[in-house]
Amino acid sequence: MKLDNRTKAEVIWVIAVVAILSWAAVSNATYLQTHSENIANPVGPDPQGVIINVTGYQWAWAFQYPNGTISTDKLVLTNGTTYTLIVSSKDVIHDLYIPEFGVNIYAVYGHTNQITFKPTKAGIYLFECVEYCGEFHYEMRGTVVVT
Amino acid sequence: MGFSFVLAVFGSTIAIIVIMGFLLYYFAVDYRKGLLGDTNSALPKTESNTMLSRMRRELSFSAFMMDDSKSIGIRYIVTSIVLFFIAGLAGIGMRLSLWFPNPSFLTPIQYNILLTAHGTLMLYGWAVGGILGLTYYLLPTSIKLRKDSLGTVSSIMYWMYLVGALLLIFSKSTATWYFYYPVVDQLTASGGGSYSFGGLIGVMLILTATITACIIFLKMIFIDRDKSIRLSSLPLFAWSVVSTAFLIISSAPVSMIADGFLIYDLINPIFFQGANGTALAYAIMFWFWGHPIVYVAVIPAFGLIYELLPRFTGTKIYSYRAGVLSLLLLMVLSGTVWGHHLFNSGLGTVWDLIFSTTSFIVAIPSAMSVFNWIATMWVGRVRMSVPVLFIINAIIDFIIGGVTGVMLGDVGVNQLLHGTYAVTAHFHFILLGLTTGMAFATFYVLFPTLTGGRNYNIPMAKVHFYLTSIGTWIMSGFWLVGGFAGMPRRVAGYFGIFQTYQDAAAIGGVVLGIGYLIFLINFLYSAYKPVETGTGNALEEEAVA
Repeated sequence: MKLDNRTKAEVIWVIAVVAILSWAAVSNATYLQTHSENIANPVGPDPQGVIINVTGYQWAWAFQYPNGTISTDKLVLTNGTTYTLIVSSKDVIHDLYIPEFGVNIYAVYGHTNQITFKPTKAGIYLFECVEYCGEFHYEMRGTVVVT
Repeated sequence: MGFSFVLAVFGSTIAIIVIMGFLLYYFAVDYRKGLLGDTNSALPKTESNTMLSRMRRELSFSAFMMDDSKSIGIRYIVTSIVLFFIAGLAGIGMRLSLWFPNPSFLTPIQYNILLTAHGTLMLYGWAVGGILGLTYYLLPTSIKLRKDSLGTVSSIMYWMYLVGALLLIFSKSTATWYFYYPVVDQLTASGGGSYSFGGLIGVMLILTATITACIIFLKMIFIDRDKSIRLSSLPLFAWSVVSTAFLIISSAPVSMIADGFLIYDLINPIFFQGANGTALAYAIMFWFWGHPIVYVAVIPAFGLIYELLPRFTGTKIYSYRAGVLSLLLLMVLSGTVWGHHLFNSGLGTVWDLIFSTTSFIVAIPSAMSVFNWIATMWVGRVRMSVPVLFIINAIIDFIIGGVTGVMLGDVGVNQLLHGTYAVTAHFHFILLGLTTGMAFATFYVLFPTLTGGRNYNIPMAKVHFYLTSIGTWIMSGFWLVGGFAGMPRRVAGYFGIFQTYQDAAAIGGVVLGIGYLIFLINFLYSAYKPVETGTGNALEEEAVA
């Protein structure tokens, strides 16, 4: 088959685009396969590590630790420990976002999601609600303290 | 002030608006009959059916009285530009209020009202309305339409769109343009706003108008077009309208059903008020339409670039076939990617994989179009003028917005960027640079026709272009950087560490606002000069011949 120059150019740029996007798609699929516990998923049978129950409500976050204590708008973690957050909501849809750990997980009424992560550096980080939830949406934020 | 009281007040308000609308319409029809006799168009009855593709129409209030395609186009163009300025004012208010980390001159409720008004009016008022307007205006010429049809239906749909837009302005909803379930039905100031469902009704009216208009477009293209135009040589703008129309007709009804459920849930919560997370069902039904609408805003802009480029480069478009393929692939593929807005909601790994892969695939036809434009400019000789500046800027902004969009389609990256200003930057690059830019480029091309033979002031138009282009870059650029640093969007206040990004974006927003003000000044200054040219223009030159 003989192609004229114009068609050749078209074929070349389509192939280039497809190649780049295939690389992106494959790396994305690999990440999903190897890190499926690090993205938001419905609660599974055996959460890893220390389990923290998170409840979002208008307009604050409550974190319940395994020993039963509850802290509001402040999450205290230990460096090097694996944590699984089990996230739900009391009222509207919220979204817990901790940029430092790549945690981004919806809190939905009547539906629990989980996400696993492991802090590797001590420090104080931020978390925020990033799903619009009413008047004081912007105040649904706080700090993560890793010791 | 109980719920039933609110419902009674709101219901009677709507009833009054609808009745007033019909009365106004009745008088308008009467007035038009006095003006024109029994014809539906400004031309004499004998000519009106054969001359439509050659007809010209200026910006004038008589357009609101006539039902031919071009008059309806004028109505939508005028209305959508007014809505664009209202929504833009809301946007600038938000930017200025975010100068300081704590809410400054806007209380959180006021901020949220502006946030909702900006989103709904820009998308449903400006993007959808502007596209309907340009399509009604340009399509008859582009397919050499001889006989206008369903003008009365189009006209009624326009009035529905107008009432919908007014409801969006006055509903004072604070539920954002998503209208996510539990928030929208909290009829308090701190939830969705007391009249939040007014916004929903407005959206439903606008969607009804849009769907009906799209059916009329398809009828125009496939049944009424001149027999000399075969489907294989249909102009690319017409193909973009085909693509948009199918996309709207196939996805908007799902969102309208969801909106209807929401309104019913106000009275008797049974649809989304489940114990097992059915609030997400609304989100899914919404995004089934919510993603196609961004392509609805983009594909006609593609069509306009395809239509304008050959006129300013002196060549045909590089590859007509690839252009049609790209537009039709966009139509098919963009209906399959909506799940990427809900990666973090617990769709599960398999669905995440499916939606992220389709999000990568949908970038292929977009890239085909971009390369097609670049190749056209490469082989042709570009004649520099104001519309060409807008086109080049649109292509560059679309590349940036598109690449950041592909990044957001990656599940891992999405974990970092979902709900941050990076998303806002992504779609503002596209909607400001491409959609809005191409709408204004087309407006400049049509300027002599729209104003009855006046030329726009070129230096002022260039200032408009440079200010809006630079403003977009400053605003969206700093949002993008801030988004990667974790700056959340849709907030009335923020952590102090983000102040640099917010202040820079506020400056960008003000620059943008000044740019569009200069457009307005240019229009008012130029439209009332003495007549200096003919009313012909590049987009309608076939009608002149």
